[in-house]
Amino acid sequence: MLSPLAPAKWGFASAAHLLNRAGFGGPPKQIDQLASLGLEKAVDQLVKFDQNPDLTSPPAWTKPDSDRVKELQEFRKASLEERKELQKVRRRMQRNHMTELRHWWLNRMVSTSHPLQEKLTLFWHGHFATSVQKVKDAYLMWRQNDLFRRQGAGEWLALLTEVAKDPAMLVWLDQGQSRKENPNENFAREVMELFTLGEGQYTEKDVTEAARAFTGWAYERADQRFVVRPRWHDAGTKTILGQSGYWTGNDVLKLVVSQPNAPEFITQKLWNFFAGQPPSAELSQALASEFVRHGQEIRPWLMTVFRSEEFYSPTVMRQQVKSPVFWLVNSARILQRELPPAEATNNLLRLMGQELFAPPNVKGWDGGLAWITTNNLLTRYNSAEYLVSGENPLNYATNRAKKGPNQPRRLPLAGAVRLDAWLEEEDWVDPEHLLRTLETRLFQAPLREKQRANVREYLASRTPLDTTDILHAIRLLMSTPDFQLT
Amino acid sequence: MNNPPTLKTRREFLQGSLLAGSLSWTIPAFLSRTITTLRAGPSTGETDRNILVVVQLAGGNDGLNTLVPFSNDDYYKARPNLGVPARTVLKLNDEVGLHPALGGLRDLHASGQLAVWQGVGYPNPNRSHFRSTEIWQTASASEINEKYGWLGRYFDHACAGAEPTVGVSVGRQSPQSFAGPKPLGVSLEQPETYRFADTDPAQGNMASGESFYRHLNRPDILDNGGEMNTGGSVGSVAGTIASHQNPLDFLERTALDAQVSSDRIRALNKNSLNRVSYPVSALSNQLKLVARLIGGGLPTRVFYVSQGGYDTHTNQSGSHDRLLGELGSAIKAFNEDIKAQGNLDKVLLMTFSEFGRRVKQNANGGTDHGAAAPLFMVGSKVRPGILGTAPDLTPTNLHNGDLKFTTDFRSLYAGVIEQWLGTESKSILKWSGPAARIT
Repeated sequence: MLSPLAPAKWGFASAAHLLNRAGFGGPPKQIDQLASLGLEKAVDQLVKFDQNPDLTSPPAWTKPDSDRVKELQEFRKASLEERKELQKVRRRMQRNHMTELRHWWLNRMVSTSHPLQEKLTLFWHGHFATSVQKVKDAYLMWRQNDLFRRQGAGEWLALLTEVAKDPAMLVWLDQGQSRKENPNENFAREVMELFTLGEGQYTEKDVTEAARAFTGWAYERADQRFVVRPRWHDAGTKTILGQSGYWTGNDVLKLVVSQPNAPEFITQKLWNFFAGQPPSAELSQALASEFVRHGQEIRPWLMTVFRSEEFYSPTVMRQQVKSPVFWLVNSARILQRELPPAEATNNLLRLMGQELFAPPNVKGWDGGLAWITTNNLLTRYNSAEYLVSGENPLNYATNRAKKGPNQPRRLPLAGAVRLDAWLEEEDWVDPEHLLRTLETRLFQAPLREKQRANVREYLASRTPLDTTDILHAIRLLMSTPDFQLT
Repeated sequence: MNNPPTLKTRREFLQGSLLAGSLSWTIPAFLSRTITTLRAGPSTGETDRNILVVVQLAGGNDGLNTLVPFSNDDYYKARPNLGVPARTVLKLNDEVGLHPALGGLRDLHASGQLAVWQGVGYPNPNRSHFRSTEIWQTASASEINEKYGWLGRYFDHACAGAEPTVGVSVGRQSPQSFAGPKPLGVSLEQPETYRFADTDPAQGNMASGESFYRHLNRPDILDNGGEMNTGGSVGSVAGTIASHQNPLDFLERTALDAQVSSDRIRALNKNSLNRVSYPVSALSNQLKLVARLIGGGLPTRVFYVSQGGYDTHTNQSGSHDRLLGELGSAIKAFNEDIKAQGNLDKVLLMTFSEFGRRVKQNANGGTDHGAAAPLFMVGSKVRPGILGTAPDLTPTNLHNGDLKFTTDFRSLYAGVIEQWLGTESKSILKWSGPAARIT
């Protein structure tokens, strides 16, 4: 279990797989570069991203709101009418900030030199699944995102503890207002059920007792930060997971993470995210002991995983359904195009079923086959046209269909893929050459013979090929079951 | 290139594509099932059957403030601020009444079309949203993890060979209750965008992008016809095909279902109109579409819609009022719409929520996760009235502060499957209790 991949098995296909799973994939040149490093160094390059920091600056407004205290006071003094107006202004500002924040993160995923850092950030976002729908504060959402980015490869307990004290989380699961007189169970429950142990590994009694221990961990609205309020804290003894003591929030987190089944729970979820399917019972055990061996630290564990034979098995490679975010970011990377405007990317991801900073519930996105429904598949196919040609094919439908509340929003023109940036001269004159270029770039693997025959026929029907024809061929290749897998 | 067919139904599609008796062992499960059924002959009139509409109230609806026990002091003691004042309650009898925002349902009660099942739940209730939703979606016992949904098992058991549109979920996601060993059912948000859209200048042409899309999305076997026959017999199909958990197989099946259902739904949506006006809400829009699809004659047995936002831990009253208002008014408009179509007698609507909420209000003006709660059924054929036994609110008779259930939800599912969908329920639900009389 988890023995290193034989060097003979390392090459273009495995390097492409690594780049897809540890990041968001890339054009053939990048894959070649990674392949030439050899497995050991390729993994190092991706995983040791902390050795040269990413200096991308965050949006300008991502700092505590210095006028906030004043604003809160003004709001209290305001008349009902004025309050409504103030709330409207605030909501609009929040909406604009969220649009900017989502686009900022997506752009980062597209252009980062630390793809694994962003991939891990995306994993933790799905794991701790906090939604702006309830938090309603873009600054807090950014802070949480930044926390995942800074600590997402570090020690599990340290990350969990920071998340528990993270303002967005305090609001999201109501911990921020839980007091000893009436402890709120929401966070105490989810920390065990969804974050660390899984259903059935604790009792209802553990939840109510843990909720008592967490009382006093609060959110200070005025300066948007975590505070401990001793007077809200239930200082009595609690019995949690079989252990009694004057437990505080920190103690609960230590207790849950040190449960015998805790390492298996989190490593199963991590493996599932990177490998695309749950591990076998035997592999799951191996993953958990490897995690414990590394002091429950994510980074060294990932190095073992990314070098392991299991990670490159035929049941793993090209068997993962792309998440909508991966679909979008990966497409932009392999087509070497910039992302469409912010309002369009937000809209596309919402339609495909993965709106960033707005997971459907505390459990996050189900992922895997659940990404694919008849509706979402057609949305992907139509979004492919938009990404390739820059035109939304459904804008045409809007013109014809009668007006109604359900009309698709118009998407701005986004510009077409620039073929001259990567097509070779032979591609224009030799359809077989073009076919190989496209399959390498889009699938990093040979197409099924049936698909090749279809595309061949398509290209033959359009010869001599112009830019529109080739763009259309790319769109068609993206509108296949095969393209939804990585 | 030969002219690709526009897919009307799976049946036509397959009949046009396959030679009888020349099937290879590579046939995906979903096709082999359809083919087997084709051989058995056409299925009976799919459009004349009863239709079930499931409305999910996601987040855990506060049952006590939905069906209010206004004559019970324990209720007001547990909810000094949150209790619905007796004078505002829409009284159904001397003991219980509807939340004032549920005028729509009160009207349906008056016309004998509302069933209110009291205290619906299950033994050993689970307070996790996800687990409890899963229990309701899969109709499993609290201690047992059941992989497939209760409707998926019904499709599998009673609708073999049906169109993918036998189950239609309105939205982007497919509900867990539709999951099955050979999954059926489609999901869509709106018919206008539910299609492969093309900017190809050669649109409509035989060599258009759309025609290539249709070819690229045909499962392998359909393109290869009998030529790939390797001599495997049909009888061995079931044992050797890859399971639907194979992602490519699953994607191919979904792509085929998308083609078939998109052609069908868009064609009928054009000619089907809503006959009444609906209030403005997300749930309303979903039911509006369901009514149009029913009116257009889509061969669907189960529609699925959902309304979220019921997880009211803090400041419950305003948001709960709004949710119930949307629920009642949308259901009433839907009921009138299908009546105007002449389909009233064919449709039964049923609500469910993963749990009710704690009897006692919490410190944040809300309520925490609970257990048993009322469930509504609506339709001209339902057995109307206040049904089942009201749960006991006496503090000493609660279980961890929650209501004890008096009607097991599976007895209602069994009633729906047997008396409404017209098939035996035991093997679908794997539950041995009696079916409730629901019609």
